Amino acid sequence: MPEPKQADKPLKKLPDSLALFVEDMKIRFGESTDIIYRLITLGPFTAAIIFIEGLGDPQLVIQAIHRDLFLFEQLDPHQPEESLNILKERTLTSGKVGEARTYSEIEAEILSGNTIIYIEGAAITLSVGTETLKQRGVEEASSQSVVRGPREGFTESLRENTALVRRRIQNPKLRIEQRKLGEQTQTAVAVMYMEGIVDMQVLEELRRRLDAAKLDSVLESNYIEEMIQDKRYSPFPTVYNTERPDVIASALLEGRIAIFVEGTPFVLVVPALLVQFFQSSEDYYQRSDFASLVRLLRYFCFGLALLTPSFYIAITTFHQEMIPTTLLISLIGQREGIPFPAFLEAFIMEITFEILREAGVRLPKSIGQSVSIVGTLVIGQAAVDAGLVSAAMVIVVSITAIANFSLPAFNVGISVRMLRFVLMAIAASFGLYGIMIAMIILALHLCSLESIGIPYMTSFAPLRWQSQKDTFVRLSRRTMKKYFGRN
Amino acid sequence: MWGKKVGSILLLISLTLLSGCWSRKELNELAIVMALGIDSVPEGYEVSAQVMNSSEAGGPSGGSSGSLPVITYKAVGKTLPDALQRMLSTTPRILYLSHIRVLVFGEEVAREGVSDVLDFINRNHQLRTDFFLLVAKNSKASEILEVITPFEHIPANSLYSSILVAHKNWAATGKVTLQQFIIELERGGSNPVMSGVQLKDDVSEGGSIKNLQTITPKSLIQHAGIAVFQKDRLVGWLGEASSKSLNYVLNEVNSTTGNVTCEGGTVAFLITKADSSIDIKLNPENEPEFTLNLKTEANLTAIQSTIDLSKTSSIENIRSRIEKKFIVNIKRDIKEVQEKYGSDIFGFGEALHRQYPDIWRSYRKRWEDRFRTVKISVRTSVTIRRIGSVIQPQKRELELK
Repeated sequence: MPEPKQADKPLKKLPDSLALFVEDMKIRFGESTDIIYRLITLGPFTAAIIFIEGLGDPQLVIQAIHRDLFLFEQLDPHQPEESLNILKERTLTSGKVGEARTYSEIEAEILSGNTIIYIEGAAITLSVGTETLKQRGVEEASSQSVVRGPREGFTESLRENTALVRRRIQNPKLRIEQRKLGEQTQTAVAVMYMEGIVDMQVLEELRRRLDAAKLDSVLESNYIEEMIQDKRYSPFPTVYNTERPDVIASALLEGRIAIFVEGTPFVLVVPALLVQFFQSSEDYYQRSDFASLVRLLRYFCFGLALLTPSFYIAITTFHQEMIPTTLLISLIGQREGIPFPAFLEAFIMEITFEILREAGVRLPKSIGQSVSIVGTLVIGQAAVDAGLVSAAMVIVVSITAIANFSLPAFNVGISVRMLRFVLMAIAASFGLYGIMIAMIILALHLCSLESIGIPYMTSFAPLRWQSQKDTFVRLSRRTMKKYFGRN
Repeated sequence: MWGKKVGSILLLISLTLLSGCWSRKELNELAIVMALGIDSVPEGYEVSAQVMNSSEAGGPSGGSSGSLPVITYKAVGKTLPDALQRMLSTTPRILYLSHIRVLVFGEEVAREGVSDVLDFINRNHQLRTDFFLLVAKNSKASEILEVITPFEHIPANSLYSSILVAHKNWAATGKVTLQQFIIELERGGSNPVMSGVQLKDDVSEGGSIKNLQTITPKSLIQHAGIAVFQKDRLVGWLGEASSKSLNYVLNEVNSTTGNVTCEGGTVAFLITKADSSIDIKLNPENEPEFTLNLKTEANLTAIQSTIDLSKTSSIENIRSRIEKKFIVNIKRDIKEVQEKYGSDIFGFGEALHRQYPDIWRSYRKRWEDRFRTVKISVRTSVTIRRIGSVIQPQKRELELK
């Protein structure tokens, strides 16, 4: 918890006078128009109800008070605290009622949508849970859709998100720890894990990193991701994120830890291993034989997306003897009259594609369509007809792009996109020899990565035979009785 | 930490300097040589290279400018590399030799000996070893490379695939790669062979597109039996029948057809499987005697006679006639090679070497002479598997009416 900025003596008594209290609050919040100060009479007392319009709905409080007017007539005007207690215990129907004793506590309660009840002369105030933030309902997760499986996706509300997971794991061992991060934003961040399954060392390490994180603001879970990941610079993500409650539930059951952040539907999972980025939740909802084949296909696509252009460049500029003669005849015919070397040709096409993709992502859907039409015409047809690029190169680029899209995790797709360009440059200057060296360096890098202290390549390096049931393939659930996927 | 960083940077720099882009060549900077022809001339060798005209051969819609898919360049030099260098004076691009499909020797060069040529071919790192070796029968190699062929754009490809097809289904041609030729050449107990090609019909029209504009091309490339080598020198040619016999002995027959006469007609059969092995026995004088065992399976494909095929005895009759024909033909052809060329292209010496290495030692030096007189017998067994969709011959059905 960061120290409150205002010079606030924590044990300073609240003022006896209502007018003074309201005055103080107005100084703290300024003249913000969305803060409502409502003065009412509670039997012998005058009371203030303070809340933020839109964040909290004090309807419940007001109704409760007005229903029981008779009760208030009996309150002792000399014991305001006692009166608050009666109020709390006998009339307030809200589920969550707490006490706030200092200005900073009161402030925090109001800001999180609760309603404060102040009675003249009392040293405490009541804070009633009235958060009613209007928000998006639970919708289908758009970033990871499935054919078979639950369609729910997380929303921007942390509480709702944790509830979505709780509903899937009805087990008292499911624990949630909450804290506030971001000096300015005071964003709620919840850490969720399964007591007994979670690796305590990893949990300790995560707590330590969260505590050490000095953040000014937290607007999305990536703010946290960057603070807790092991290596600052690596093309590969070492924190997994998802929009799907079922994915989080299965990760928790495997002993992983989920990190929820208020205000974003993307929930983080640590530790994240490379294999995880090739798994889709749907693998577990389909028959295992089919799921295995699809998963093998994904690994193949990873290789394809990473290597196709560089491989094409290498063999057409260095190793022509490796191309089967009939293929060579058609390739060489296509390259006839192309003004650029193969590398430049590939580079131009890849960049064009990246531009198209970037344009398509940001544009409104209706315009996005026309961009893709123009794009297809530009890359597919016109460039070949004009003799700027060869038809084979268009095939290479499109295969690369499609293979890239087939990766289930968006962030590992980005890693591939970045590495692809590096590999292309290497292939253009060193041929297959260079590609081999680059692959070795890449493998070394992957093996050196860690996610919260767990080796990134776990289940391959270090090799775990038991885990092989769920890496390249997914064997039937019957073979995994004892397997908890601890990795 | 610093040491590590400096070290890895140095390693990366050496990676750049040690390999670099020196062998980099774009596809459209290459002239892909599809076939090489080698002839001997008084100054040394004349090399003809059939080079792919890439814009014509590989374009999506064939050719547009009407030029031919290949160009044959010729140059003369003391040695092969010499001639190839000189060829650059006429070609616009670097010659790239990795994709050669066939290497054609003129008959003259083959008779003088091919080992000098093979040395270059074998030594050059660009050349693969999987292309086919051919001899141009009665002509120069360059003439073979100057004929335009139908079907395949590129004549060298046409030759290459026709060798494969003919070897698989006809069995009267050889499929000899550089690798095989050199192995056979360097082994003591065998001599190499090469397949022959020759031009058919009018030679003068062969080099122009007109050759393809008639329904019957004026000029075609034809397989011409097998060339027998004594060491690296061509010594003679085998005809169709003897070439087949050779392939039977070498166990190179996949399928082929043949025919036998029986009961006033001819029966044609198709060999579907043929396995041969060489047995060696020592006679009392401790001299080796060879027996060729040939096991084949045949289907009857055409019955041009009135034989009653519903009887097993008639099929048995045909079977024994086929066996007899095999024995007669193969014996005759082996004898011919023994007496006429004295070159052990069948590999009997090699078989002896494997089975009786001790005896081979005394034969090694004189094998060329001993091969002429060594005793070789043939044993065959034929199984008839199928007689086709009908039973009785058409001719018999007509007569019975």
